[in-house]
Amino acid sequence: MSKPANVVLLIDDEPKIRRFLRAGFELNGYLVLEAENAAEALKVSTFRPPDIIILDLNLPDLHGIDLLERIRSWSNVPVIILSVVAGEDEKVRLLQAGADDYVVKPFGMAELLARSEAALRRYFKTATENPVVVAGPLSVDLATRTVALNQNTVRLTRKEYRLLHILAMHVGLVVTHDQLLKEIWTGNQRDNIQYLRILVRKLRQKIEADPNHPRLLITESGVGYRLQSRIEATPA
Amino acid sequence: MSFSTKVVRLIYDSALVAMFAGKRTSPAQKDRRRARFEEAPESFFRAEVLPLIMALVGVALVTAPLLMVGAKVAVALVPVTYLIPVMVAATQWGIWPATLASIASMAAADFFFFAPIYSFQVESPEAVTDLLLFLVVSLVSSNLASRLKRETDTLRRREKEMQKLYEFSRRLAACFTIDDLVSAIHDYLSRNLGPQAAFFVATPDSHFGPPESRNAPKPVLEGVASMAAVAGAPGRTIVNVATAEVWLLRAVSTETTVHGVIAINIGTGSSEAIRARTARVEAIVEEIALTLQRLDIGKAMEHARLHLQAQLLRDAFHGTLSHELCSPLAAIQGSAAVLATVPTVKKDLQARSLVEAISEEVAQLDSYIQNLLQATRVTAGGLKPRLEWTDPRDIIDAALKRTARRLAAHKVVSVLDEDLPLINIDSGLVEEACAQLLQNAAKYSPSGSLITIKVQADPAWVILSVSDQGIGITPDEQQQLGRRSFRSERHRASTPGSGLGFWIASTFVKANSGTVSVSSRGQGMGTTVSIALPASELNLSDLSALDHE
Repeated sequence: MSKPANVVLLIDDEPKIRRFLRAGFELNGYLVLEAENAAEALKVSTFRPPDIIILDLNLPDLHGIDLLERIRSWSNVPVIILSVVAGEDEKVRLLQAGADDYVVKPFGMAELLARSEAALRRYFKTATENPVVVAGPLSVDLATRTVALNQNTVRLTRKEYRLLHILAMHVGLVVTHDQLLKEIWTGNQRDNIQYLRILVRKLRQKIEADPNHPRLLITESGVGYRLQSRIEATPA
Repeated sequence: MSFSTKVVRLIYDSALVAMFAGKRTSPAQKDRRRARFEEAPESFFRAEVLPLIMALVGVALVTAPLLMVGAKVAVALVPVTYLIPVMVAATQWGIWPATLASIASMAAADFFFFAPIYSFQVESPEAVTDLLLFLVVSLVSSNLASRLKRETDTLRRREKEMQKLYEFSRRLAACFTIDDLVSAIHDYLSRNLGPQAAFFVATPDSHFGPPESRNAPKPVLEGVASMAAVAGAPGRTIVNVATAEVWLLRAVSTETTVHGVIAINIGTGSSEAIRARTARVEAIVEEIALTLQRLDIGKAMEHARLHLQAQLLRDAFHGTLSHELCSPLAAIQGSAAVLATVPTVKKDLQARSLVEAISEEVAQLDSYIQNLLQATRVTAGGLKPRLEWTDPRDIIDAALKRTARRLAAHKVVSVLDEDLPLINIDSGLVEEACAQLLQNAAKYSPSGSLITIKVQADPAWVILSVSDQGIGITPDEQQQLGRRSFRSERHRASTPGSGLGFWIASTFVKANSGTVSVSSRGQGMGTTVSIALPASELNLSDLSALDHE
C-alpha cells in the first residue's frame, strides 16, 4: 500500500541533534520539519500540521511540558519526548500530560523510530483495521479476545487478559502503573501496585520464553509497562 | 537674757540639730574626705572650703545694698533678698554652703536690720517670727534646691556614662573579628576607667594571658589565674585586702567560647554604690556579649554562604555535566546509529566496524559520565529514594540489560528463587547498584569466566548476590572498600576505573534500607558481593488468589 510520507516535526534547540534526527527519519521515509523553539514549533505546525512530534524538554523559550500542554489543547497528534535526564516522576508526569512516550538521551535511533511507529500506528488506527496485535511470537486478537503464542492458544485469566489487552492497545508504547491499576482493579486494590507486580509475573509465566528475562512484557522501572512491538536481536 | 534672745538661740540650735540629724556623715564618707584631703589638698580646698566662703561672700554682697537703702525699706526686703544667696549656694555648691548661707543671712538680718540694730538680740515677737519663718523657709528651700542639684548632677553623670556606653557599643558594632573586639574593650576600659581596669585575653590552653597594662594588683592576677577559660564559668568578685577595693572579674564569652576576662576596680563605698557600679560593669559585659553573639552569627552566616556556594557549584556541575556533556554524546551516539543504517555503510564492512567502534566508545564514555553524575547526586545530598513495590526479577533483568555490553565476554548465570517476595525500593537506585556490582565482577575476573547472580528469599529479606571467579579481595582491601575512590594497589595500573563503583552501589543500597556485604576466600579466589533488602511481609498467595474472580 502506498501512502503519503508521515510528517515529523522535530523540536530541539540543538542543531546537532536535529541534524542526525533528520537523517534518521528521512532514511526511514519521513518528511521532516524542524523548529528550534516553542514559538517556531507552534508556527510551523499551523502551516503544516505534523503527523508526529518529537519534543525536547529543554527549550529556550518554554519548558517542554508547557508546550506539550498547549499542543494537547488543540491536537491529539502523537508526541514523543526527548530528555537528557528525566526522573521517574517526571516521566509519569509527561505521560499524564499527554505524551505518547519518551526516550532519554543518549538514545538509539532504532528505539526512537520504534516508538514513533508505535505512536503513529495507534494514532491512525481505524475501526476497519485488523484487530489483531502482533508482538513477536505473540498475537492478541482484540475482537475475539484470544491470545496465541507461536500459533498456540494461551489460556489467560480475566485479569491477565485485561492487562495484556490494555498493553496490546498501546503496543510499543509505555502504559503507566496508574493507568493499568485503574483499568484492571476497583476499590482499594487500585492503589496497590503489588497486585500489578504479581499479575505481571503470572502473565509473563504464560507468554515469555524466560520469565526472568522478559522480551515481550517489558518493565519501565518506576513508570509502567510496555508490550514490545518489535523483538530485537537477542542480547549477548 | 531676754525672751527673744532665748528664742533665737533655740532656733539656731534646733536648726543645726535638724540639719545634722537628717544627714549625718557616715564614717566611711569622713574617711574618704580625709583621704581626699591627704591625696590632693588643693582640690580638697576647691571642692569643700571654697563653696563655704563663697556662700558667706554671697550673704555679704546682699547685705551691702540693703544697708544702703533706708532701714524701713530694708526690713521689708530682708526675707526675700536673703533667699537669693541661699538659693545660689544651694544650686551651685550643695547643702552645706546653702545651710551656712541661711544661718549667715539670718544672723546678718538680725544684726543689721532688726531692732536693736548692731546686736543679735531681737525685741519684738513679730521680728522673731519673721526670722524664724525666714530660717525655716530658707532651710527647706535650700534643701530642696540642693537635692535638685544633686539629682541633676546624677542624671548628667548617667547621661555621660550612657553616652560613653553608647559610643562603646557603636565601636563594638564596627567590630568584625575577635581582635577588633579585644582592642575596643581595651580602649574603652583605659579611656573611661583608666588604670582601674584590665583585660585578660583567653589563651588556647583555657587560661588567661597577662593584661597589656600591668595595673591589676596581685590578688586580681591570682584570681584570674585560678579561673579556667571554660564557657559558663561564673564571674567573681575579689577584695584587695591592702586597699579594701573591690574588683569585679567578668568573663567575656559566648555560649561556647570564652574570649577573656575583664577585671574592673569599682573602688570602695557603700553597698549601694558598689551595686550601682557593678550594674554598670555588667552592662558593659552584656554589650560585649551581644557583640560576640553577633560576630558568631556573622561567622555562621559566612560559613553558610560558603556552604551554599559549594552547593550551587555542585548543582551547576551536575547540571552542566548532564546537559553540556550528554547532549554532544547524544548527538554522537545518534549520528553513529543513523550512519550504521545508511545503505552504503551497511554494505561496507570496514566502514561498519568503524561506526560500531564509535558507538561502543560513546557508550563507554556515557557510562563513566553517568557514574560521575550518580556520585555528584550522592554528594549533593540529592539522594531521595522513591520507594515502590518492585519485583526483584525486574531489578536483575534491568541491571543485566544495562551491563550487557560489559558482560559480553563472560558467562552469566542467574539463579532466582521461585515466589520471590516483592521489595519496597527505589528501583532506579537498586538497578544501578546491581549494575555496578556486575561491572566490577566483569572487570576483576578473566574473560570467559563465570559470573553468577543469585536471588534468594530470606524470611524478612531478599538477598541479591553477584559472584565472580576473579582476583578476589584481601581482608585489608575489604576494610577500605566502602571509601569513595578507593582502588586497590594491586590493579590500579592494570585495570582502568574511578573507584566510584562500589561506593555508589553501597550508598544506593543504604539509601534503600539495605546492606552490602563482601566475601572472598582470598586473593585469586573470586568475590561474592551480596545486597540484602527488606522484603514485603504480604503473603503472595493472598495477592494471587484475587486474580481468579
